[in-house]
Amino acid sequence: MAGSDISREKKALSDIAASDIVETVPSALIILDRNLNITSANRAFYQTFRTSADKTEGCHIYDLGNRQWDIPALRSLLESVIPHRASVEGFEVEHDFPTIGRRTMLVNARKIFRPGDNDGSILLAIEDVSEERAARNESKRNWQLTQSIVDTIRDPLVVLENDMTIVTANKAFLTIFAITEVEVRGRRFSDLGQHQWDVPALRHLMEKVLPENRPIESFEIEDNFPGLGRRVFNLNARKISQPGNHAHRMLLVFEDITDRKQRERDALSLTNEISHRIKNNLQIIVGLIAFEAKWTAAPCVQGYKAMQARIGAIAQLYDLISQSSRGQTVAVDAYLREITKTMSASLLGNTSGIKIEVKAEALHIDPDRAVPFGLLVNELATNAVKHAFPGGRGRVVLSVERAGDQMELTVADDGVGIKDQDLTKIPEKRGSDYVAIFVRQLGGTIVPSGSEGTGTIVRIRLPLLLAPSGGAELAAA
Amino acid sequence: MAVILIVEDDVFIRQVAEMMIQGWGHHTLSAGDVDEALSLLRSPQHIDALFTDIYLKTEVHGGCDLAHQAIKLRPNLRVLYTTGNSVTDKLKTLFVEGMHFLRKPYTQLQLQDSVEDLLAA
Repeated sequence: MAGSDISREKKALSDIAASDIVETVPSALIILDRNLNITSANRAFYQTFRTSADKTEGCHIYDLGNRQWDIPALRSLLESVIPHRASVEGFEVEHDFPTIGRRTMLVNARKIFRPGDNDGSILLAIEDVSEERAARNESKRNWQLTQSIVDTIRDPLVVLENDMTIVTANKAFLTIFAITEVEVRGRRFSDLGQHQWDVPALRHLMEKVLPENRPIESFEIEDNFPGLGRRVFNLNARKISQPGNHAHRMLLVFEDITDRKQRERDALSLTNEISHRIKNNLQIIVGLIAFEAKWTAAPCVQGYKAMQARIGAIAQLYDLISQSSRGQTVAVDAYLREITKTMSASLLGNTSGIKIEVKAEALHIDPDRAVPFGLLVNELATNAVKHAFPGGRGRVVLSVERAGDQMELTVADDGVGIKDQDLTKIPEKRGSDYVAIFVRQLGGTIVPSGSEGTGTIVRIRLPLLLAPSGGAELAAA
Repeated sequence: MAVILIVEDDVFIRQVAEMMIQGWGHHTLSAGDVDEALSLLRSPQHIDALFTDIYLKTEVHGGCDLAHQAIKLRPNLRVLYTTGNSVTDKLKTLFVEGMHFLRKPYTQLQLQDSVEDLLAA
């Protein structure tokens, strides 16, 4: 910008009279002389206090209204502004004003000089902060109410700032961890106690609660706590907003799950103990069969091996049922794979040219029906392995799929097939009445099935014992 | 032929396992608990492999503890675990490195495959 332009701009600014600026300021302003008499006031002052210039100018500040400014503390401050060049900042006056009622005013004052006024004057700015203060008080009341509610919660909890320092803790927290409010306030959460909460994985999750609004659900911490002994706490955290405040904080709740965990561990221990005994008993049966097989003529050995595979199938099922939660269902695909694994190991060995594959939909079966279902699959697959592959090479596919309101189990092999094409009699023909028994037990039927290419296919339709997932239908079964 | 130490607290199961393994031409030693097994492991007796149940008497992870002590005594020892319980991730952390595993109930063929794999490793 050229020098002449700058000069013109400065002149234009100086042409705006100070009084014009004062009149546009929203805060109430008054000028006092050295004796604290009012020499002038702006429009905002008259509007705020619903008064006029003739009732104001020339008056002493303390005589205004019902002498609301005649307050000892304010007097002391105002009377030191001119002699000591002091200033008044943020002096709060709550008063019942004659024209506008009860209001809260914020007073600021400083010494100013005007042309020809060597003594100086006082510029007094009065800001009506009634609504702001009311909101703050309301917020405080809400916070106190929240705090009182929080104190009634039995689980310990703390409220944290963004920097993980503690804003407040409820009574349960203070009592359980034997700490005072003074000791927790402003302290970093990770520094509490013997740094039991200073766990990297927890810290990582906590750092995401506020910025990403990502709550923490069930983070378990097990440690020794002074005075409490070994404890397990389940931590849950979420972002909270304080009323009247845009700042966000974190609510962190500690659920003491020590007793629950102990019960779960006891139950698991009992399950393991029972499982150990059952498996050992099954192992004894398998051993007895092995003894018998050792002294039995060769043609009968296969029968003993099949018996061992059946026992293996029951053991696998037991494992799967144990792994699924109480009252829940067994995943058919996983179950079939386990049976396949056992059969491959017991009937085929590592070097066999016969492979058993599984193609199953994600269906579930209730534990009560899983036993005959598993034994049915075991029987059909064993039949295929025993009879379909005289050359020692081939493939057996076990598949399960939903067919309308039924489910269909298919056991197919690519072996030599059977001479008698009356496929409805396949299972019985192939050496086991077990299949018919299990199908009857499950309320199913053997589906007449044509020979597709080489090999044999056995299809069995069963009532929908299975739910698509989860097992809601099974709950009522 | 190898020397295999079988550790199993159930006498019948242990004897059946001995019978099977001896039937394949191997020599067997047997123990019913951790202390008996450690006595054999501390002796000058040559041992190629340890076949141990995990749940030994009242020790839920007795076989795991035994295997760790056995490896300290004999770093080249091969280890085959067996258990009827579920093998959880937590349990796996207790296993020694390079171990083999056989689920109970096991058949003669399964045990044979496992022993062959163990000795070939």
